[in-house]
Amino acid sequence: MKPLSRLSAASDLTLGLIGAILAVAAWEISARTGLVDPAIFPSPSLAIRAAAERLTAETVADNLFWSLLRVFSGFLLGALAGAAVGIAAGWYRGFGAIARPLIELLRPIPPLAWIPLAIIWFGLGEPSKFFIIFLGAFFPVVTAAYQGMRSIDPMLLKAAQTFGLSGVPLLLRVAVPAAAPDLATGVRIGWGLSFGVLVAAELIAADRGLGYMIINERNTGGSVGVIVVGILLIGALNLITDAAIGAAIKRWIGRWHGA
Amino acid sequence: MTRKLVQALPPLAAFTVLLLLWEAGVRYGFLKPYQFPPVSRIARGFVELSTTGFPTGVSIWSHALTTILRVLQGYGAALALAIPLGLVIGALPVVDKLTAPLIVFCRSVATLSLLPLVIVWFGAGELTKVFLIGYGCFWVMLSNVIAGVRYVDPTLVRAARTFGLKGLELYRSVVLPAALPRIFAGARMALGVGFMVIVGAEMIGTIEGLGALIMEARTFYRSEITIIGMLVIGLIGFTISAGLMALERAMLPWAGNLDRVRR
Amino acid sequence: MSQSPVMERRSPDAGVEGHGPAETAFIRIDGARKVFTQRSGGAVPVLDNVDLAIAENEFVSFIGRSGCGKTTLLNMIAGLEDVSAGRIAIAGKVVTGPGQGQGVVFQQHALFPWLTAVDNVAFGFHKSGLAKAERRRRALDLLALVGLEAAAGRYPREMSGGMQQRVSIARALALDPQILLMDEPFGALDELTRIELQQELLRIWEARRKTIVFVTHSISEALMLSDRIVLLAPNPGRIKRIFPVDLPRPRLRTDPGFNALYQAIWNELST
Repeated sequence: MKPLSRLSAASDLTLGLIGAILAVAAWEISARTGLVDPAIFPSPSLAIRAAAERLTAETVADNLFWSLLRVFSGFLLGALAGAAVGIAAGWYRGFGAIARPLIELLRPIPPLAWIPLAIIWFGLGEPSKFFIIFLGAFFPVVTAAYQGMRSIDPMLLKAAQTFGLSGVPLLLRVAVPAAAPDLATGVRIGWGLSFGVLVAAELIAADRGLGYMIINERNTGGSVGVIVVGILLIGALNLITDAAIGAAIKRWIGRWHGA
Repeated sequence: MTRKLVQALPPLAAFTVLLLLWEAGVRYGFLKPYQFPPVSRIARGFVELSTTGFPTGVSIWSHALTTILRVLQGYGAALALAIPLGLVIGALPVVDKLTAPLIVFCRSVATLSLLPLVIVWFGAGELTKVFLIGYGCFWVMLSNVIAGVRYVDPTLVRAARTFGLKGLELYRSVVLPAALPRIFAGARMALGVGFMVIVGAEMIGTIEGLGALIMEARTFYRSEITIIGMLVIGLIGFTISAGLMALERAMLPWAGNLDRVRR
Repeated sequence: MSQSPVMERRSPDAGVEGHGPAETAFIRIDGARKVFTQRSGGAVPVLDNVDLAIAENEFVSFIGRSGCGKTTLLNMIAGLEDVSAGRIAIAGKVVTGPGQGQGVVFQQHALFPWLTAVDNVAFGFHKSGLAKAERRRRALDLLALVGLEAAAGRYPREMSGGMQQRVSIARALALDPQILLMDEPFGALDELTRIELQQELLRIWEARRKTIVFVTHSISEALMLSDRIVLLAPNPGRIKRIFPVDLPRPRLRTDPGFNALYQAIWNELST
């Protein structure tokens, strides 16, 4: 069975490529033949031409830079804080008993709903965006880290204890690696959420970044083509960064964990 | 019973202490009441919201209802489209492979980034919001339905084949039930996406709905109303998600640990 | 029809290398090969030129190391996998797919998790055209046969491994198949449950007159159960040797004949 599935892996890519090309072709044709009004949904070629006319590479690079800086910094700190709190809540019962209910209380609130409060607390500048993206990463990671800690096979801990490990060394050398697969899932989800939150925050209150770039184009009555290119750019960025994080996770735990 | 009470005591105590510190911090001037409205003010705000409303005439319940209706419309439409489509795509490996990268990309497109484009299409009204919710829910649901159908335990399919089942019959009596847990998991994920999207969508170009309420309240320096709105959003999301879990448990009594169906 | 093969089964020439007595061969495997194609285009032979004849009502075990193709061979008899070359026939009819009188019990119980025990067994009557009530009645009878009538309403996850495998056997018996194909059915069970189910299986085999093909990793399990033990070797999978087991039943592990055969099979497996 295994050789068969490898056989299909090659054709998967080809078929997927064909599918993607077909989809782009269908889009192009429907806009060219007037099936869809190019003024509201331009074909890919028109959109790219419009974008090339109205945007300089410098503008795009500048907005891209700000978006990436925001999402990476917010995500990094949010994920680190989430992992630390989640691991501590899973390891130290007393801390867990107090921290968990508070987290569970706040968790159902979507990160975007924090935007007004973030502005009240931190003003309209960068810190409020950072805070929202931080939350987007924090909640999935803290939940996953806690669950990972709670579902560690107790035999692993006992086995380590027979070698005299206890306290912080036991936590760092056995418990955290054992919880790593769950933690990794949370990190992946957290990245997706952070990214979605970034775009929303930039749409709602920002003066630079990719989200700002497209909403500004719309507010100034610019070209729909630019908006379409911007959307695709954000999508591609999300896809690439997600794949990169997936690959990094695989390098981290893939050698001993199946997924 | 008493054990549960004892277990609930430390978090309750911690929570109460936190609220008291907060209240005291405001009274003694350490915290600005605008930034950290004390509990007493939040309580008064809640009374105002449920009677007079904010803006005047629109109570918190009516905001909540608006939001829920928007989410349900987009969510319902997404499910109605994604489930049948996913069941078909999942059953046809070639179609699945053709569409896989496309679906991954469409899922990666940040839903709210579509907002400027969708406003061009449908204006800034209801349809735009419902469309955005629908978009976000649709791709999450679709990929989960396809995965559910594709990754059915092959031994189950083999077992059914030994009894002569094939084609549509095999699909209906084995593949479909086996895919249900994953489909339900997808429905729960999609709902989360829906609530995420609606809050963002309501912050732009509307004054009705909970997202609009919390944003409006901020511009009027009514931070206590913002906080109430946030809590209500969280409560609604929590309730609906718990409802879905209960529905799942009732409909799939055979699926043991539902959290484990995540892949 | 069911009398003489029992005699044949015990006849000394039943264990002749490769072939059983031709006229009584119920399952007949002639030059069967299985080749998997790789992505690079290369072909991996999994089974090479297998000849085997199994008599009606015979109990045959396949034993061998991982990768010797024993499960593949079983799946080919079940009609779940194609034969790359050669042919497999049951009662003179070439196997083209499942549903030609083969009941299969899988390694992992393969019960449908959304069906209760009785509904899982009743699933076996899917194509029978019987009324629903009748299916249920027969399913309950089969559950009684494996001693599980009390657990009829339980879902698979609510049953122990041994119970799950009993339900799985009952389900395989639903269409009263002439052949029962079992792929390491007791491999995941604890020793006590395993011995219990082995005895149960022998009881059912004797009561219902089935031809059983049984894949196992365990020499003693094969010795406890089988009329003949077919030893397969890997790279590519092929029949290395066939051991007739002429020990009277019920068999005892302490029997000197048992131990002699155990040693002989072990020697063959480890070279």
